Amino acid sequence: MKERFSVFSFFEIFTIIITIIVIIFTSVLILAIVLKGLPYLGQAFYSEEVRFAVKLSLYTASISTIICMALAIPTAYALTRTSFPFKKVCQMIIELPLSMPYLVLGLSLLIVFSSDFGKALKELGFKVVFDKNGIIIAQTVVNLPYVIRFIRTAFQEVDERLEFISGSLGATKWERFITITLPLSKNAIITTIILAWSRGLGEFGATLMLVGATRMKTETLTTSVYLNLATGDTGASMASATIILIISLISLFLTNWIGRKNPQESRMKDVNQ
Amino acid sequence: MINPMVEIKDYSIQLGTFQLNNINLSISEKEIFAVLGRTGSGKTVLLESVAGFYRKFSGAVSLQGKPVVDIPLEKRQIGFVYQDFGLFHHMSVYENITYGLKIQRKDKAYKKEMADKMAEILSIGHIMNQYPGTLSGGERQRTALARALILNPKLLLMDEPFSSLDPSTKEMMYQQIKKIHKIFGCTILFVTHDFNEAQRMADRIGIMVNGELRGIRNSADLFEDCQDQEINQFLLGGYERRIIV
Repeated sequence: MKERFSVFSFFEIFTIIITIIVIIFTSVLILAIVLKGLPYLGQAFYSEEVRFAVKLSLYTASISTIICMALAIPTAYALTRTSFPFKKVCQMIIELPLSMPYLVLGLSLLIVFSSDFGKALKELGFKVVFDKNGIIIAQTVVNLPYVIRFIRTAFQEVDERLEFISGSLGATKWERFITITLPLSKNAIITTIILAWSRGLGEFGATLMLVGATRMKTETLTTSVYLNLATGDTGASMASATIILIISLISLFLTNWIGRKNPQESRMKDVNQ
Repeated sequence: MINPMVEIKDYSIQLGTFQLNNINLSISEKEIFAVLGRTGSGKTVLLESVAGFYRKFSGAVSLQGKPVVDIPLEKRQIGFVYQDFGLFHHMSVYENITYGLKIQRKDKAYKKEMADKMAEILSIGHIMNQYPGTLSGGERQRTALARALILNPKLLLMDEPFSSLDPSTKEMMYQQIKKIHKIFGCTILFVTHDFNEAQRMADRIGIMVNGELRGIRNSADLFEDCQDQEINQFLLGGYERRIIV
């Protein structure tokens, strides 16, 4: 052991110390929620309000993730595999919300859906402001630029020569996409789905601006944390926070698990690393 | 009049700082043509140009009289084998080989029959269920060849296909390519920097120097002197190496 430690340079020791500080800080934050929230967790599951928040969060995050993927995959393909005028400008517009505060995004949504357009939608039966549809839209708008960027990167990493070979073997562009590009981006796409879903679950700023925070109506898990804390019910607030934490941990585990390389596809499968 | 399999007229292309300059070349049906040149001389770009990889160029590249870029990629009937073989890593060897047949919606029995036939010609029956990541260089190369040949392409394009193989595998592959050429009757255009390989495999050899096709010779006359000093210098290097070997 002594020998192993002696190979660390000063720089390596410095980086390890910084890493330990980061780990301690993060662990304290997580433990603060877990230790405070766990005692209330059982009780929270019997609370109608928390159950409503869990259901609404899971429903809205799932729908917004599906919408994000349905929009992001064709957009990412167009940005990486086609050429059209003002492509760079289009890319900048798509990615602009990445650098915008979510409250500002929520405000933009509120302005759009409070306008005549929003009123027309409401008359057609699609209510957005102060409605759960608004939660889905807020989560979609917040997540979409991230999802497009992740999938764009995944498509860029697929060797275009493979698509060319596929084409030379008779595949149309659609067939090349379905049989080569998409399967080779599979892990990145699944990871993106999980991340988008867990980010949707944790979205608060834009949602608050667009649909407000109404108990048992637009109350997602994050809204539940906010509402209960504001009314002094720390226990319920901590329980909701713990549920979010548990879902995040499961997402992280799934992301890492899917990110593993398929051992069947590598000749290094029998080598101890 | 029969159109040549490949015809390149006054072809130039600029890719970053590299330029392929005023290429003129005609390759007839069933011919084996090698493009010989140093690394960075533009051999691969020429090969990709014949395949119709690029859209912005001057001049013309035709396959059997039709401009290559006007033929949809899926209808060009070319087989392409890259230097790193470009296998689909998410598919098994069998799936790689039968990919083209799957696209053509051929039934299972036909795919199996054709795959077995290719496996026999190229001796890869034992690796059909393996993934490309588990194969040796020679096995990958034969898989890539089988995949390209299963659709019986009119033109087989190969980018330094033997460069990563050991001498005995190379020797085996030379013989297999000759056998394939005999069985399938396709035109073969391949690039290499190996003089011996070019002479052994090709009917004619084109010599690339700095993005220009400086000369075309019959294989037997490869080392003959000419007016172009750069060609002489390049060939002399190869000739001396062969004498030393």
